[in-house]
Amino acid sequence: MFKIIAYICFVGSVAFFGLGTLGLFKFPDPYTRMHAVGMGDTLGVGLIGLGLLLLSTTWILRLKLIIALSLFWLINPTMTHLTAKAALIRGIQPVKNTEIRRG
Amino acid sequence: MRKRTLFLFILLFAFWIVISSNPDLQHILIGAFLAFITAWFWHVLGPRQPVVLSFRALLILFRCLLMLGGYVIGANIAVAKTMLFSNPPAKPVFVVMKPGINSDWGRVLLATCITITPGTITVDVNPDTGEFFIHALTERTAIDLASWRMISEIKKLENQMKKEAEHVSHTDRSDDIGSVSAAKGNNRINAD
Repeated sequence: MFKIIAYICFVGSVAFFGLGTLGLFKFPDPYTRMHAVGMGDTLGVGLIGLGLLLLSTTWILRLKLIIALSLFWLINPTMTHLTAKAALIRGIQPVKNTEIRRG
Repeated sequence: MRKRTLFLFILLFAFWIVISSNPDLQHILIGAFLAFITAWFWHVLGPRQPVVLSFRALLILFRCLLMLGGYVIGANIAVAKTMLFSNPPAKPVFVVMKPGINSDWGRVLLATCITITPGTITVDVNPDTGEFFIHALTERTAIDLASWRMISEIKKLENQMKKEAEHVSHTDRSDDIGSVSAAKGNNRINAD
C-alpha cells in the first residue's frame, strides 16, 4: 500500500518538475520564470521526500530525509529572493505589461 | 554565553552524527572537531540568538507552518493553471506593501513564507520602513496578498513573543530589585 502511495508521489513530483520546466519556456521574463521553477522546488521536492519517507526502512534514514527537506525549504526561498534582488539591482527589466501597485 | 556556545556545539555535533553514514570513531572525532571549531568561530553570535520559544509560541508557529503547507499546495496548482490555461500566461504585478510587522525575525519569516509560496517572490524588504517589495505572477495573487492570513498569524506570534520578552525582563527586574534590597539589608546588618 505504502509502495503505491510512494509511486504516486514520485509521479506527481515528476509532473510538477515537468510543469516547472515548461514554465521556463512559456513565461516571458526571469521574474515570472522563478515562479515556475518554484513549483518543482516546493511541491516537486516535497512529493519526492514524502515518497522516500514512505519507502525508507529505518528511523535514522527518515530523520535524515526530514533534515534534508527542512534545509532545502529554508535555503530555496533565500536563494530565490537573492536571485530576484540581484536581477533587479542589475537592471534586468520585467516584461512590458508588468504593473506596479501599492498593496 | 558559554552555555549557548555549548548548546550550539551539541546541536552541531548531533546534526553531524545524524547525517554521517557510519558513526564510527573517525566520524565522531572529525564531527567533534568541526562542531568545536564552528561553535568557537560563531560564539560572538551568541547574544543575538532568539529567546527559547514557549509552548504557546511553538503552537502558533506550528499552526503557521501547517497553514503554509496548505497555501503552498494551493499556490502550486494555481501557478500550474495560470501557466497552462491563461493567455497571455502571466500578467505580473510588483506590489509594494507594508504588513505592519516590526521585528526582524518576523519580517524574515514573512518574506520566506511569501517566497516559498509559488506565485509570489519577496524581492526586497526595506529595514527602515518595513515595506515589502513583492513580485506576484497574477493580479489576483497580488490582491489576495494584502489580506493573506499568514500576515495576521505572524503578527500574533510576534505579539506573543513580545509579551514573553516583557514578562522575562519584568521578572529579571524584580529579581534585580530583590537582590539589590537584599544587598542593602545585608549592608545595614553589617553596619549595625
